[in-house]
Amino acid sequence: MKFTVLRSKFLEGLQTVQNVVPSKGAIQILTNALIHVEGDRMCITTTDLDISARCYIPCEGQETGSTTLPIRRVASIIRELNESRIQIEVNEDDVATVQCGSSFFKIIGLPTRDFPPVPATEGKVCYRIDQGAFREMLRKTSYAASLDETRRVLNGVLMAFKENKLTMVATDGRRLALVEHEIEFPPEAETEMILPTKAVGELMRILGSDGDLKIYAQKNQVVFELGDTVLSSKLIDGVYPNYRQVIPSGCSERVTIEREMLLSALRRVSVVTTDKSNATRLTFSANQLTISTQTPDVGEGRDTVAVKYAGKEISIIFNPEYVMDPLRNIDDDEVFFELNDGHSPALLKCGLPFLYVLMPLRIN
Amino acid sequence: MKRCVLHIDMDAFFAAVEQRDRPELRGRPVVVGAPPDRRGVVSTCSYEARVYGIRSAMPSREAYRRCPQAVFLPPDMARYEEASRRVFAIFARYSPLVEPLSIDEAFLDVTGVRRLFGGGEEIARRIRAEVRAEVGLAASIGVAGNKFLAKLGSERAKPDGLFVMPEAREEVVRVLGALKVGALWGVGKVTGAALERAGYQTVADLQRADPAVLARAVGECLAAHLRALAFGEDSREVETEFEERSLSREYTFPADCRDRETVRGVLKGLSDEVGRRLRAHGRFATVGRLKLRWADFRTITRQAPFETAVCDDFALRALALRLFDAERLAQPVRLVGFGVSGLCEGRREQLTLFDDAPAARDKRERLCHAVDALCERLGTGSVRRAGEREDGGAEP
Repeated sequence: MKFTVLRSKFLEGLQTVQNVVPSKGAIQILTNALIHVEGDRMCITTTDLDISARCYIPCEGQETGSTTLPIRRVASIIRELNESRIQIEVNEDDVATVQCGSSFFKIIGLPTRDFPPVPATEGKVCYRIDQGAFREMLRKTSYAASLDETRRVLNGVLMAFKENKLTMVATDGRRLALVEHEIEFPPEAETEMILPTKAVGELMRILGSDGDLKIYAQKNQVVFELGDTVLSSKLIDGVYPNYRQVIPSGCSERVTIEREMLLSALRRVSVVTTDKSNATRLTFSANQLTISTQTPDVGEGRDTVAVKYAGKEISIIFNPEYVMDPLRNIDDDEVFFELNDGHSPALLKCGLPFLYVLMPLRIN
Repeated sequence: MKRCVLHIDMDAFFAAVEQRDRPELRGRPVVVGAPPDRRGVVSTCSYEARVYGIRSAMPSREAYRRCPQAVFLPPDMARYEEASRRVFAIFARYSPLVEPLSIDEAFLDVTGVRRLFGGGEEIARRIRAEVRAEVGLAASIGVAGNKFLAKLGSERAKPDGLFVMPEAREEVVRVLGALKVGALWGVGKVTGAALERAGYQTVADLQRADPAVLARAVGECLAAHLRALAFGEDSREVETEFEERSLSREYTFPADCRDRETVRGVLKGLSDEVGRRLRAHGRFATVGRLKLRWADFRTITRQAPFETAVCDDFALRALALRLFDAERLAQPVRLVGFGVSGLCEGRREQLTLFDDAPAARDKRERLCHAVDALCERLGTGSVRRAGEREDGGAEP
């Protein structure tokens, strides 16, 4: 295999797929990228057996072939090179010779046959959605997913393709974020899948703000195709909890708050909380919200925010991080808090088809 | 205002309760604790037994060697607890500021009630008389201006006496000066050895010590503390609510145990006992800890956090057993223990969306409190779970 490639293109390609590679302690072949050159195109593939990433970049192929090379080391070398054109030749023992201006490297690779197979971009059904819209949906929900490894079905984001909508949900059992987006697909393509958190992170990194995203649903896995990049991921096997059932309906009180003001007040007050003691009290009274907290051995903090509210006084305690998370990930100027009382779930909404259910803390 | 503190210590408490209830034991050496032919230690012994050199925490075998004619009795905690409750009820007549140190020992701050009852000495006299008349036991009391001196006083008062620390500073300094450094609060083996190496044998040596030289020997913080104590100064308050940081119980098997189920059974009993004490203190625990000592004395501990702060036996047991079940019995078990830490007074509990764990926990806690109330009236172990025998060993 022999090819010439532009330094910037090669580096961009390597960086697109590099994150998937497991860190230390993995099987050696998985720390390598599969590189295949054919004609004027190079394909770089990485996998950790759960997630695979693949991207295509232009090159001048002088000799068709494949190899696998240690991706972190190759990327480090390419990053340091000065000249723009890089000449690479790989012999039958998978030893790559890299030449670029005055620089010369020999990198020892591993045979292609040892590299695990990677899912193809095909599937019974293909859903199409704008990349930017999909990335926004992930942003508005993924922070609510559970990090508790004993609750596997919650370690990801639910994607429900139903009733001509994509509904995305994430929850850790204490709060739940939900966002909807209308897309078109035939009724027989209705399905649900749970995308693991690592794949969500990778997607958010590589998704652009526009352009088409194709989603291929396969058995136990899903493939995302966006331009020259393909990401595939195994799905989390299991039944997602019935999220519709925990969304409160018909809250008695509704408060309108400026998002930025609420966020900055919460940020200020939470300075005096600790990991162990973070309970923060939100007291809604006539056109005013008071946020206060007391932490033993640390101190206390209080802030007030002007709101639009004419209902009864409600005092409710939350983990402030759980209130700030959605506020950081939506862009609306105004948000709406819907409440019943101090011990029932609260709802946070904004202008979009977005909602966030939040359970309070109870003190006894 | 000058403070007035009483330190009250029951004389040979467990043994005294036995002698009170069984007149044939009076005047004889009585040892409460492990039987002499098995492993374990002396809990308490009567003054008659002390003549033979028997002491608390001495192996029972050793006690038997020193005095084979002694009467060895297993502890009967229910009766001791009952006696303790009656004694503490008498303390409560004289001051609301009672700091219990153990089942048979307490500090009383009587500063504010002296005029009502006629001074510290008079209060001490009345408490001693009432404890003797109503409970039939002897209490020794030290009366002083602070906790440290009061405790020294009760030691001097023993057995069955009353000691009032002189108020004049020079008198106090003289009394303290004659003591060994080990008599000071906070001086154990390690500090004692460090002081001895630096040439301080008696409290008088500390009184004369150059603060800078003393600080070099034991560190600045401890040096300041020791100097204050050496002159009889102690500003600790009598704390009615004792701030516990951790609670634990352990049990040594009479013979090393190879049977998992037996260890599990004991562990259940220990965790229930910890739960009862946790609730008695009105606390919740955030971390549980298992302790195992193998036959060769190697000891391991395993700890894990609770999902939320808890105080019910069910949660404590579940964690204790989970930690134990994860361990392979590499060797026979000599000792098993369970403890909790990260104690807090209130609980801030995150409510959840998909289950109603908090409500279920509330129910379990109410049940445990109800059982505690019954045991308080009928004695520890009087209410047990169906299908479980009384697991011995949780007794101190």
